[in-house]
Amino acid sequence: MSRPAILVENVGVRFRPYVDRKPTLRRSVANMRTRQVDEVVALDNVTFRVEKGEAFGIIGRNGAGKSTLLRVMARTLKPNTGKVVVNGRASTLLQLGVGFNPELSGSRNIYLGGLAAGLRRADVDQIFDDVVEYAGLGHAIDRPVKTYSSGMFSRLAFSVSMHLNPDILLLDEVLAVGDAEFRDKSLRTMKDLLERAGTIVFVSHSMSQVADFCNRVLWLQEGRVRLIGEAEKVVDEYQQNSTADRHAS
Amino acid sequence: MSSPSFSLPASGRVGKAIEYLQDLWRRREFAMALGLGNLKARNASTSLGLFWWVLNPLLLGGVYFLVFGLFFQRQEPTNFLVYLLSGMFPFHFTSQSMTGGANSIIQNAKLLANLRFPRLLLPISAMIEALVGFLASLVVLVLIILIAGTVSGENYFTFRLAYLPLIIPIHLVFNIGLGAMTARLAVPFRDINNLLPYVNRIWLYLTPIIWPLELLDGVSPFLQSLVRLNPMFDIVGLYRSALLGTPLVLDHVVGALIWASVIGVVGVAVFVRHEGHIVRYL
Repeated sequence: MSRPAILVENVGVRFRPYVDRKPTLRRSVANMRTRQVDEVVALDNVTFRVEKGEAFGIIGRNGAGKSTLLRVMARTLKPNTGKVVVNGRASTLLQLGVGFNPELSGSRNIYLGGLAAGLRRADVDQIFDDVVEYAGLGHAIDRPVKTYSSGMFSRLAFSVSMHLNPDILLLDEVLAVGDAEFRDKSLRTMKDLLERAGTIVFVSHSMSQVADFCNRVLWLQEGRVRLIGEAEKVVDEYQQNSTADRHAS
Repeated sequence: MSSPSFSLPASGRVGKAIEYLQDLWRRREFAMALGLGNLKARNASTSLGLFWWVLNPLLLGGVYFLVFGLFFQRQEPTNFLVYLLSGMFPFHFTSQSMTGGANSIIQNAKLLANLRFPRLLLPISAMIEALVGFLASLVVLVLIILIAGTVSGENYFTFRLAYLPLIIPIHLVFNIGLGAMTARLAVPFRDINNLLPYVNRIWLYLTPIIWPLELLDGVSPFLQSLVRLNPMFDIVGLYRSALLGTPLVLDHVVGALIWASVIGVVGVAVFVRHEGHIVRYL
């Protein structure tokens, strides 16, 4: 069997108490006294693999641990237990416009975003014109990004991410970007990536998008793998389950 | 990915440290773009921009000059003014490095959560920003000293001005260490920047900047050695030698070198050891 694009093995992630409250001096001192250690389990013993060239979906309710799982795969968050192996150059699109500085112009932000994602300046020089054209912002590219509408901002950010040429793309619910035309364009770009044997991991709440686009789907429930398998089957189960829940309550 | 072919597989602590530094070096363009981008953004969003780097220490120095230079006149006013400012500007660089280091973690949560890169890059980009500001302010400081020298007939500038390119890197290493420490502290204590101005103010008072060195002669040997332990005592001493032409004191050279290496290494080490957990706190 060939090497998988991503291997996730027995991954567990726990967060400190008060995930909704930022730690401060006062609280740390207070915690020291009371020795509070209750933790929130975000992921519990999660194991799966994503093959090369696969479109892999992750679904689940809010708070099921989807975003945490993406961060673990992006390796920005170190799991407390287990391990993650990523073969290839992963690009993450967990949030749009990472590395952007709103005070600076669109063109400068293309450089900032590209460099942030790990490119060298020379690499950004190469893709610059394509990024500008793909975003289709015209002269606005020279204006500070803070003057952009949210749609324009998303187009620029998405365009930068799409030109990073990753082997593996991690996406978090960002397809709902811009107008219908731009949305189609971004779907096409992602399909191109898949055809080049790239791998996409895709978190979404839109079941139709997931069923359409993904080969396999992982259903996360309260930090654990509830079901993993062929996209349509898992999406069906998930939808039946949530309607059943709704009837029960 | 293109990693240099001569690098051996990392093993043990030293190997890991080398690998980390290589990784950091590979991302140098990003660190520069981030630091200079912030500088440019600040320039665009404030009306005086980079000029604040001159104005801040100058105004603070001006206040103390009024209080201590004119009201409690101890010596020649121009002498005291250049003495005061030649300490105030380098001190401002250090205090800006401390707040910059903490801010680099607090303000870049989005970068931290989304991208994988050696985290030390953030405090370092803050240092790049601070260094550019400091260099710009140094040009103005040299001009001020030049004017003060012409007015009072003193000749402050000697061949010792050539020490500056040697002093600044030592100071920078010291600041990187401090900035990495405040960045490390900012991970659990997001409100650290409320505390830092007071720390800086007390540190300023403990350093012979607003009070003359001769004041030390009157105090107990114990208090004296305590004041001499202050790293800024040595660093400011070096700057004074370069900017005011006083002879170089060997104690300052040795002291500054030791402090810079200790704080530099310890600061970076405590930061890097914990950097895998930063995202957990965001």
